[in-house]
Amino acid sequence: KGSKMRLSVAAAISHGRVYRKFGLGPRSRLDMLRNLVTALVRHERIEAPWARADEMRGYAERLIDYAKLGDTNERAMRMANFWLTEKDLIHKLFKVLALRFQPHTGDYTRMMQIPNRETDRAKMAVIELKGNPYPPLIVRRRDTEKTLLNQLLKGYREDMKRAA
Amino acid sequence: LVLVFSPLPRLRDLLQRCWGRLEHGLLLGFSRSQIPPWGPALAVQAPALLPEPVGDTAESNEVPSLFDSILWMAAPKKRRTIEVNRCRRRNPNKLIKVKRNIDTCPECGNLKQKHVLCGYCYAKVKAETRLIRIEMGKKEGGPFNAPTTETVVLYDGEKPTEKEGGKRIIERARKRPSWFGQN
Repeated sequence: KGSKMRLSVAAAISHGRVYRKFGLGPRSRLDMLRNLVTALVRHERIEAPWARADEMRGYAERLIDYAKLGDTNERAMRMANFWLTEKDLIHKLFKVLALRFQPHTGDYTRMMQIPNRETDRAKMAVIELKGNPYPPLIVRRRDTEKTLLNQLLKGYREDMKRAA
Repeated sequence: LVLVFSPLPRLRDLLQRCWGRLEHGLLLGFSRSQIPPWGPALAVQAPALLPEPVGDTAESNEVPSLFDSILWMAAPKKRRTIEVNRCRRRNPNKLIKVKRNIDTCPECGNLKQKHVLCGYCYAKVKAETRLIRIEMGKKEGGPFNAPTTETVVLYDGEKPTEKEGGKRIIERARKRPSWFGQN
């Protein structure tokens, strides 16, 4: 028997699709992202698979934008009520985080990749709210004075001062 | 009652042939003695006449039988030579790529990838945050008691300044680590 020709594009090709799918469906995806946002607001620094953290970042930042509108705003309160499953965090969001991020325009979170998870080698990321009380993830060290180049530059500066 | 009915024509032919052989065997047995001592070779509960679907006689003439078919299964024609095998196995897309984005961490000296945090330094920070969170848990008392003020962490012998007036203080009973500045 000869094989028949495929007359339509197979549904399994996903060229050019940019949006991610998570969980068992769209509602499951939103529930999972909601759990992650709640955890981020509670703990201010969480570790998660990179794709989930990336997806959650946008939702978390928009939630903070809504919180900046204020406690009395009906839409903001409804958003916070949906996105934060633990209701004591609504107080924290409006009283602590909205105040903390008042001077910032956007960019309230920092996301960095960490070494792969030990069990299944999944690509992991740590996502944190800026201004959290924990130790910083990266410390920028200024070059120490004792390197050769810095010693030479210091000597040059002193020579210039003596000549002047 | 289990009916063995298969839509594939070849399997149905096979079953028919088996059934024919069984009947043939039974007939032989009967000719030898009245009651055959042995049981049936193949016990299949099926109707005595397997139903034939319509328009099938033309198909069954063309399809070759199972045992002398050479077109049915794909099989390699020739042995692949070692030269051809080597070309396939050593093709660059099959080799493991060499990573050129590995550096040493300036803090601890361990190896790290350039776009990834250092594993050792991150483990250090993670351990310290875990201890801070235990202290926070003790201060909050129970679950779902998130504070409505900012938090600040103070180590041995440090006093809160006026800038940290209204904040919740978390005490840690050790010297301040060098990588956790106070600002």
